[in-house]
Amino acid sequence: MAEEQKQGQAAPTEAPRAEGGAPAPTGAPSHGGHSGQGGHGGPGGHSGPRREGGREGGPRREGGPGGGPGGPRRGKRQYFRKKKVCKFCVEKIDLIDYKRADILSQFVQERGKILPRRMTGVCARHQRWLGVAIKRARNIALLPFAGSAAGATAPRAVEAHKS
Amino acid sequence: MEERLYDLIFIARPATPEDEIRKVITSIEHACTEKGAKIEKAEHWGTRKLAYRVAKHREGMYYYHQIRTAQGELIVELERRLHVQDSVIKYLTIRLDEDIKRQKKLGDKREKRAARRPRRPAATPPAPVPAAPAPEPQAAAS
Repeated sequence: MAEEQKQGQAAPTEAPRAEGGAPAPTGAPSHGGHSGQGGHGGPGGHSGPRREGGREGGPRREGGPGGGPGGPRRGKRQYFRKKKVCKFCVEKIDLIDYKRADILSQFVQERGKILPRRMTGVCARHQRWLGVAIKRARNIALLPFAGSAAGATAPRAVEAHKS
Repeated sequence: MEERLYDLIFIARPATPEDEIRKVITSIEHACTEKGAKIEKAEHWGTRKLAYRVAKHREGMYYYHQIRTAQGELIVELERRLHVQDSVIKYLTIRLDEDIKRQKKLGDKREKRAARRPRRPAATPPAPVPAAPAPEPQAAAS
């Protein structure tokens, strides 16, 4: 009895470590339901009521704690965000050319609004230069002024429909 | 007086005949030589779609020149000339030398920093966690 208990408790403590290296024991898919039951109770808590099935439960338990640590991990991933880095810093661009509309257009919305830094991940310094470059490009009709794209195209389409 | 670098872009009407464009360009070149300026680059970008309507046109022919000059009056003169041309629908001159100076400065700084710290020893990746012998306790139980 006492031995079984000890073994039962020993198994879960080892399992999480094993989970990192060998994630899929052979019987894992069939024990998905058990992992759901036991997962919230904690890995050590389920030795009492399932005493009878203890021998069979060896592999089961292995499946259980394996699912247990998966829970908090999933939670972490929820808040995990890919870290954005400044594209210009990565490519070591010190001069943002206003003539390269293909590059600049990545940092404006469709209508021509400049995208905020929090969306593109551009660093403060490069955003400052980028703003200047975009405004220069707008002046020579390489990029639209905000809203002008809709103003130039939409009314035309309506007129074409009427006529 | 130090020399300054300018970009000069103008957009011509999409259906402008070749000789008229030639006339505009020679006029620019003439003004430049008069003032002792140097045209460093001259490019024709071809017909491009405009981002918005300019003089009721949706397309335009882009011409690009890079001019180095010590006299700012030249830019005024060039802009005046482009302004009176009917075939030119838009033009823009931008002073570039300050930006290029800043670029050079930053590039030098980066080089110097790279020279000072040749290379940092790469951090060794953490060793993979060895798989714990999970089957053992099971074997003991059964």
